[in-house]
Amino acid sequence: MSAEIRITIDGQDLHVPGHQVLIHAAQDNGVYIPRFCWHPRMKPVGMCRMCLVEIEGPRGRMLVPSCTQPIHQGMVVHTQSETVKKAQEGVLEFLLANHPLDCPVCDKGGECPLQDQTMAHGPGESRFVEEKRHYEKPIPISDLVMLDRERCILCARCTRFSDEISGDPLIEFQDRGNATQVNTFPDEPFASYFSGNTVQLCPVGALTATPYRFRARPWDLRAIASTCSICTAGDSITVQSSQNQVLRYLGVDNDATNHGWLSDKCRFGFEYLHAEDRLTAPLVRGPDGELHETDWATALSYAAAKLTEIISKRGGGAVGGLGGARGTNEDAYAFAKFMRVAVGSNHLDAQMDDGLDPQFLAALAGKGTIGDLESAKTILLWAADLKEEYPTLYLRVRRAAQELGARLIVVHPRATGLDDRGTDVIRYRPGQGAETLRELAAGEGEFAAVRAALDHGPVVAIVGRTGLTESPKLAEAVAAFARDLPDASVLPLARRANTYGALDMGVAPTLLPGRAPVSGIGCANLVESWGGVPEGSGRDCRRMLEGLQDGSLAALVMVGADPVSDVPDGAMAASALEAAEFIVAVDLFLTESSRHADVVFPALGFAEKEGTVTNLEGRVQKVNRVVPGAGQSREDWSILDDLAMRMDRPIHLASAEQISKEIAHVAPAYEGVSWDLVTWDHPDGAVVPLEAPRAPLEYVPVMADAPKPRASAFVLHVARTLYDAGVVCSRGMALKDLAPGAAAHLTPGDAQSLGVGAGGVVRVVSGDVEADLPVVIDDSLTPGVVYVPFNQPGGPHLGHELAVTVEAV
Amino acid sequence: MSWSADTLTRARDIIARYPEPRSAVMPLLYIAMREEGHLTDDGMRQVGELVGLTPAQVRSVATFYVMYKTEPKGKYLISMCTSISCFLMGADDVLHALEEASGVPAGESDGVIAVEHAECIGACGGAPACLVNYELVEGLSVSKAAELVEWLRNAQPDAINTDELQTLFGGDTSFDWAIKENNSAIGPYPAFPPFGTAERNTDALEPNRSRPL
Amino acid sequence: MSRFPLVITKRMTEYPSDSHTLDRYLATGGYEAARTALGRTREELVELVKESGLLGRGGAAFSAGLKWSFLADPRPAYLVVNGDESEPGTFKDRQLLERDPHQMIEGIIIGSWANQVHHAFVYIRGEYPKPARRVQQAVADAYAAGYLGKNILDSGYDLDVTVHLGAGAYICGEETALLNSLEGRRGEPRLKPPYFPAAKGLYMMPTIVNNVETIANLPHIIEHGAEWYQSLSDCEDTGTFMMSVSGHVKKPGNYEVVHGITWRELIYDIAGGMRDDNDLKAWVPGGASAPWFVPDLHLDKPITKAACADDGSMLGSGAVIVMDHTTDMVAAAERLVRFFAEESCGQCTPCREGTTWLDMILQRMLHGAGREADLGLLYDVSDNISVGMGWPPKQTTICPLGPSAVSAVKSLLEHFRHEAEAHIARATHPETRPAVPVTIRRGA
Ligand SMILES: Cc1cc2nc3c(=O)[nH]c(=O)nc-3n(C[C@H](O)[C@H](O)[C@H](O)COP(=O)(O)O)c2cc1C
Ligand code: SF4
Ligand code: FES
Repeated sequence: MSAEIRITIDGQDLHVPGHQVLIHAAQDNGVYIPRFCWHPRMKPVGMCRMCLVEIEGPRGRMLVPSCTQPIHQGMVVHTQSETVKKAQEGVLEFLLANHPLDCPVCDKGGECPLQDQTMAHGPGESRFVEEKRHYEKPIPISDLVMLDRERCILCARCTRFSDEISGDPLIEFQDRGNATQVNTFPDEPFASYFSGNTVQLCPVGALTATPYRFRARPWDLRAIASTCSICTAGDSITVQSSQNQVLRYLGVDNDATNHGWLSDKCRFGFEYLHAEDRLTAPLVRGPDGELHETDWATALSYAAAKLTEIISKRGGGAVGGLGGARGTNEDAYAFAKFMRVAVGSNHLDAQMDDGLDPQFLAALAGKGTIGDLESAKTILLWAADLKEEYPTLYLRVRRAAQELGARLIVVHPRATGLDDRGTDVIRYRPGQGAETLRELAAGEGEFAAVRAALDHGPVVAIVGRTGLTESPKLAEAVAAFARDLPDASVLPLARRANTYGALDMGVAPTLLPGRAPVSGIGCANLVESWGGVPEGSGRDCRRMLEGLQDGSLAALVMVGADPVSDVPDGAMAASALEAAEFIVAVDLFLTESSRHADVVFPALGFAEKEGTVTNLEGRVQKVNRVVPGAGQSREDWSILDDLAMRMDRPIHLASAEQISKEIAHVAPAYEGVSWDLVTWDHPDGAVVPLEAPRAPLEYVPVMADAPKPRASAFVLHVARTLYDAGVVCSRGMALKDLAPGAAAHLTPGDAQSLGVGAGGVVRVVSGDVEADLPVVIDDSLTPGVVYVPFNQPGGPHLGHELAVTVEAV
Repeated sequence: MSWSADTLTRARDIIARYPEPRSAVMPLLYIAMREEGHLTDDGMRQVGELVGLTPAQVRSVATFYVMYKTEPKGKYLISMCTSISCFLMGADDVLHALEEASGVPAGESDGVIAVEHAECIGACGGAPACLVNYELVEGLSVSKAAELVEWLRNAQPDAINTDELQTLFGGDTSFDWAIKENNSAIGPYPAFPPFGTAERNTDALEPNRSRPL
Repeated sequence: MSRFPLVITKRMTEYPSDSHTLDRYLATGGYEAARTALGRTREELVELVKESGLLGRGGAAFSAGLKWSFLADPRPAYLVVNGDESEPGTFKDRQLLERDPHQMIEGIIIGSWANQVHHAFVYIRGEYPKPARRVQQAVADAYAAGYLGKNILDSGYDLDVTVHLGAGAYICGEETALLNSLEGRRGEPRLKPPYFPAAKGLYMMPTIVNNVETIANLPHIIEHGAEWYQSLSDCEDTGTFMMSVSGHVKKPGNYEVVHGITWRELIYDIAGGMRDDNDLKAWVPGGASAPWFVPDLHLDKPITKAACADDGSMLGSGAVIVMDHTTDMVAAAERLVRFFAEESCGQCTPCREGTTWLDMILQRMLHGAGREADLGLLYDVSDNISVGMGWPPKQTTICPLGPSAVSAVKSLLEHFRHEAEAHIARATHPETRPAVPVTIRRGA
């Protein structure tokens, strides 16, 4: 970073950081220079020429574009001179020459910089009497984006974004000169996970989002700052609504997290809030075996009575609690307190058998931030395909590797979205991760260079399960290895929006609020508030489901949990729920899981409630309410509080704000985290200054999890895709058709020996589950591996066993 | 359609001549034109695969340059220069004559002959001038232009040789061409190895060869 | 024959039938200069070329030696020979490439050695297949004879040359656009700074870009020395240089001349005077970008860099386009503007929109639909591309292409305003849209 230097803008002496371009320095000091193509997160191109200013040089004043102009000591700048004004007005006139005058019907009308500039400085009447350029009016360039080339001012923001930032250059300038247009290749749509960003970046109405077209005018929108809760990165967003409908999310530039970007799943993943099958009233299973709508009092009393009865007969330990990762920290805290205080059970898990050991995650808390990527020299990425599961983190890693020159080491069983930026791409057969890690740690053979790079920090290790058949122990071992490198930070990846918050709140079989182990309740305040917790570690998700199956558990409380869809072995989850004596669910929908419940409480969803969430770094940010909820839905915490009261075991929760204060009181790490931490000008939130527990991260012996070789046995790799059959995608018009669909990916060689080609059908058999799947040829796999994307519409849940058989049908 | 093993080898040879594969996009686009007569979507995909670009990126490059044709141009592409020096020497009339004689308006093709206007082709000293399959004819006139079209239409030569055309239909040149060469274009793309040069029988180039009419 | 000493066109003049062959090249002392150069240090060569006063012949007339001295440290460095020659009126490089390719290759060896380059490129415009064939043959012959490739001339020095064909884009003559093109991108000029590719060029590495003619001079400077080169002319612009004369003269063609002669000498003596002995109306002194000269003011001015600059124009690429009294100057201006509108890369708003707009106005005037307001509009649109419409331009654009279109408009309004007014006065349907639709025509 260069030192401060002194410049003069319009007679005002300023001290600015030397690395900035002029337009940025001016903006930071309150001088707004108009621009269309410049964007602080992309390389300047100096194309629109709107930002021309004059600087004084040896040969008099010079017109220069301020977006490309480096600043230097003593520079004297004029942004308001007659020459500057004339030049800027000239550029504006040029831009308008071919721009249609359709502002009244344009989605951008009211929030269009071109319109604003024209109102402020534009010519009263067009001097351009010739015929304007004509193009076919909006053409769909993808399922989500429409392009109107007549409106386009050729600022190259969209093309730069897709090339520089998201790495999928599918939208490009075509032709030349006055005929230049933005377009895709014929029959190759702009199928980018990040296409929505180009809509937000477009300074005019050339790119519009299909889900938003003609839905609202900017001046009718209500907006609030919030935090996206689809993945765990904690992306800052603005939620906009009109007439009690959420209509649009916009990315907000947060230096700490998303840099303003969002994946399309996050950007368009709000339509489910207004889905027709959203629950609006409590449901109770009647004598006919069906769920019937009822009033809150009836449903709550019934659920309280049933739970009380089971607890009194079999003890609190007969009840399990699943979920808590989809709501706010306040909701999660309420869930933890409800389970431990009102129910008296430690069987509590926010993860769906697809995550990592909560104690392990707690041990790594505070060991790294996303921002560490900016200064990383080496990045070790041994986790899920970030592009599919942590899209904005993917952009940050891509930036680090592509723009900042970090050496990126990608270790994964198959091709990932970052391979093209990987200096080293290491592929292994699922089940042989431990062996691969051992070789890598030893720096043997081809790993020598990689190993050496890891000794030259700063290193950022991003660690998680590459797939659902992979033992979580592998990620733990990788993390343990990475943590002990000379200069490394570690980012462990768990799934689902607020998993980290839930763990912090104690929604885990082994943790209490503040990531304290259950074994030693250390915090006096917690003892005072909760009055003690049950002894011993609880069951995790899988063991709870097993308990329901074998009858050692009787009841289950699900808060925003859908184990049937989310655990690797969905069939087993379904049979567990089937076997349960009593199930209470708090949910937005009747999901594959909540339809098994005996009582279902309708919950408020995102944008319908206030609270805090905690991202994968331990950064606490705010979510806010902009629309009322559907029907009679209520906050999770309030439902649980009411339930506890009716069970005669009150947990004394009054409001989200009160809960947040209680959290700060009982979990010392959250002490400084106050309710009003997120405001418009302060989107970063606060990182929980949580010390990892004193005990160092235990070295986890890596188990040899290679499957026993069996004749014709394949190894199964199962991983998530961005679009799947989950609630967000399946209940949004925009996203519901985007999931790639169930398939069996095989190497060309394996497909050939099975005698099938692409599109042919194979039968994959895992234990009792078998599925007939179309074949996709994937030469990034190791021979003998079959990859099946998880949770696809109509697709199978093949469980977590590695060994499967594959045969042609 | 995909390229033959031979063509792929040629393409890889070209890629090897540059420090970075992307640099070979332009020569490979010429190969793609030669393969199918013009640039097809498949051709651009193939080029993208070879140099590691998306088809959209390849198309972006290709459409920047006017010599890459994404539409079929037929067998002969006549590019008539209408820039200043040729304009001063009557190029507009010559272009008109070309259009008349061929019945093909500038910018179009009838499947055999395509006519287009071109910006300065570097033959200003021999204005007015045109290119036939990018091979030069200098010192054109209205009548010679018509003859040129007629000859193309009737003789339908397999290869276009600049010296032959100049002898038959040209006039004053920008400078002394001195000798004749026998390299010829075999389609509407440049005859520059390895993009499709044919050798013509040099006997055919003798100046006193009678002009077919 | 020429009354000036012939340097770079000597061989082709003396041996027209085989000046392009390696045999002839060797028989006339070829590749000796390269051998000499390989025995000298980089510093010596840069100094020598600086001292010779050799100016770039691509248009900007920047000292070649000085440019070389800017070469930044990182390696590899590259040398790129600019043979894109597309400036209307210019056809000198075509002759040099076609008729004496080894002269350029020898220049490449010298330039490469002087700049520690091991890979040089020759970028030839796509419309020059014949010159490109000759160059490629010459490169192949030079490789075979050991003048290129590994350990050339037994010096231990390795040099590769790649011949690259353009594909129809004038803007690729602009050096940074050329580098983008060579990298397999759209030929869009890059942002300045950096002002010279010598800092960051091809693949962001230090790169020297020189015009074909500039490079062709190198063997002669090595052979005869800087003083000899200076002595060729008796003004501050040293050496000989090529002028391409076209338009309404009796003998259009390329002429190797020395700086300091007058325009009268060039047009009337060397190029044979006006066709049909018509009156000289105006000429473009240095390629289509240059503001025009007119006989009353400029005919007896010397042809030097400084004299042209004093009169608000330039020698540019040495292309002289001569117009006689029969020329409709509005039509001439339109044709020049149209060129730039068609060849604009389209990156910057003022060039993309402004040049087309100017052309549309001029076309409308020519089609009898000019309006009173059009002259003011022409002026103002021009001014918004090139502030003050001067030369060298104060541009609102990235590169000088946009402002180049303004040169013709400015010249028209300055010297032939009455012709423009006459067109407007003759307008048959003023204030209406043109009967002929004005569209920008493109290739495919
Ligand atoms: C619009 C534009 C077009 C140009 N075209 C050419 C060209 O065709 N050939 C050329 O040698 N230089 C051309 N130049 C100049 C080059 O940018 C560059 O200055 C030159 O190649 C450097 O070589 P030199 O120093 O030997 O002249 C052009 C410049 C501009 C701005
Ligand atoms: S001035 Fe014209 S040619 Fe030059 S960069 Fe701008 S748009 Fe391209
Ligand atoms: S913002 Fe500077 S040129 Fe567009």
